[in-house]
Amino acid sequence: MKALTANRLDDGEVVFWKSGRWVERFAEAELFADPETGEAAEAHAKNQPTAVVDAYLIDLVESEGLWAPLSYRERIRALGPTNHLGHGKQAEGGAAIEALQHASGAARSTGRVNLIKR
Amino acid sequence: MYQYDTLDKEFLADRAAEFREQVARRLAGEITEDQFKMIRLMNGLYLQLHAYMLRVAIPYGSLNPVQLRALAEIGRKYDKGYGHFTTRQNLQFHWIKLADTPAILDELAAVDMHAIQTSGNCIRNVTADPYAGATAEEIDDPRVWSEAIRQWSSLHPEFSFLPRKFKIAITASAKDRTAAKVHDIGLMVRRARDGTLGFEVIVGGGLGRTPYVGPTIREFLPANRLFSYLEAVLRVYNRHGRRDNSYKARIKILVAALGAEEFARQVEAEWEKVGAAGDLPDTEIARIRGAFAPTSFDTLVNRSEAFEEAKAADPIFARWARNNLRPHKRPGYSIVEISLKGIGDTPGDASSDQMDLVADLAERYGQDDIRVTHEQNLVLPHVKLDDLAVVHAELRRAGLATPNVNLISDIIACPGLDYCALANARAIPIAQDIARKFENQDRAELIGELKIKISGCINACGHHHIGHIGILGVDKKGEEFYQLTLGGSGAEDAAVGSMLGPALPANRVAEAIDVLVDVYLRERQDEERFLDTVRRTGVAPFKEAVYADAN
Repeated sequence: MKALTANRLDDGEVVFWKSGRWVERFAEAELFADPETGEAAEAHAKNQPTAVVDAYLIDLVESEGLWAPLSYRERIRALGPTNHLGHGKQAEGGAAIEALQHASGAARSTGRVNLIKR
Repeated sequence: MYQYDTLDKEFLADRAAEFREQVARRLAGEITEDQFKMIRLMNGLYLQLHAYMLRVAIPYGSLNPVQLRALAEIGRKYDKGYGHFTTRQNLQFHWIKLADTPAILDELAAVDMHAIQTSGNCIRNVTADPYAGATAEEIDDPRVWSEAIRQWSSLHPEFSFLPRKFKIAITASAKDRTAAKVHDIGLMVRRARDGTLGFEVIVGGGLGRTPYVGPTIREFLPANRLFSYLEAVLRVYNRHGRRDNSYKARIKILVAALGAEEFARQVEAEWEKVGAAGDLPDTEIARIRGAFAPTSFDTLVNRSEAFEEAKAADPIFARWARNNLRPHKRPGYSIVEISLKGIGDTPGDASSDQMDLVADLAERYGQDDIRVTHEQNLVLPHVKLDDLAVVHAELRRAGLATPNVNLISDIIACPGLDYCALANARAIPIAQDIARKFENQDRAELIGELKIKISGCINACGHHHIGHIGILGVDKKGEEFYQLTLGGSGAEDAAVGSMLGPALPANRVAEAIDVLVDVYLRERQDEERFLDTVRRTGVAPFKEAVYADAN
């Protein structure tokens, strides 16, 4: 299972693809069971340069009956920083946030590409 | 403190206006992200995990209360009510919106601040001794030279597109509080036997994936020849530094490839060509020096009854005084270190309210002067001994009186994977775990000076290579692991630490530090610091203890 994520251009907010638009909550993200649908959405997103920056697909893993990003980095993006639990999306709380917080599983994030320190 | 002139102010206003237009064009789709990225980076604006990050330059870590209040207000209006002080004596805001950035740059410009040259392949903010102008140890005031370099290097047309970023540090004390030996150029102020002022010039130090303690390429450079010599160093680098591989593009790689002697020879040859025309006239240095004229100190005796009585009456104050005060050059004054390392807090974070309080204290008791240290703390450089008890009480009310400067919980940590797009692992929670483990201040004082530095990736913003204990976060198939190094130092006795052994999982790091400390307390002789013991014994006894379970 995969989801499509990016950062919104005007404020940098982490967003997820949902049927042709971008939403802030991971819990509302569209889930792609087959690779082609995900890739088609990704191609579409890359054509929205005034909406988002750096769209990419992420792998998901099951957690407490819900889906969560497989990589730790992507879970932090979907939640917020672990040193300030009142900051970021996690501040909202609820079952969907807790499922992300309790998720395990590890993989290198697909977002970590072509990174060079400036 | 240096004051901007009309030309500087006009330039900053123009630059903010230009960026406003560029942001509007980007939002309208007239320029692509690839085109815009370099523009925003030139204005200190990065895109990180959760939002944009704006890195504001604090020239040589020196601030006045008006500027600190402006930073507090920006934190309140555009961020989440705080800012993060960095290992380059700068301030980062981690929750910035692109659309707000032009307004923020206007607010910075209004107090003579900006984010120019806080990113990109140019000469970055100069690091200087945070005790400048206050410590009796210094030969000269390093801010004079830092300010001259700031003016010379700002928008320098020849050095605006170097092979890679370029960082300069200046110290004028034997005790180095700038990590000068691990900078691209480290300048150590020296005085010759005949009294002439000059610099020992160290080139090619650095951290990151290839750490080096820089070699000295000139033992004594007369101070009035500084700028022609810097120009020669930069020219040799600009000409021969690698541009084909950004991992090998820093000057340290060039110096190591050529050898320090050959590099120095090429610099000397270039210096001949540049000649004295490349130097600043003495009158200009004198003008800048005038802006740092000694603050008007009262004539006092070096003993304050009020201070002595407060120490005798209040053990909490006495402990803070023991750990967070440093001797001042003037009788009756003290340098005050304000720890931004509250137990369990994020190293280097200060809330807007805390920044306002420090600004107030600087105004009321500290001659309008505030410094940022590369160890992510703040300093009030000139406080009367008579005023220390009230300053402490105010700091304590604001959660800023943790008495741990230079102790085990005074930890440097980069933002790590909690914020940074480059990070492999988190750094902040590791620092929090360790600080909590050593919360007992009696034990922390028994252990004495111990510098722990944590980076979330090999780029080493958390200076892990030069920690007495260094901690590097690595990614093992997507899981956070931490490699420990021992015996590094960023001070005058600079050294790159040695690897202890295989990386540890996050939940074993604080416990491993505890084991390292126990070995130190067992092995130490006389007044040895942790670092001294490691240097005498080597890593073997430490390694044996930490990995005992695995054997």
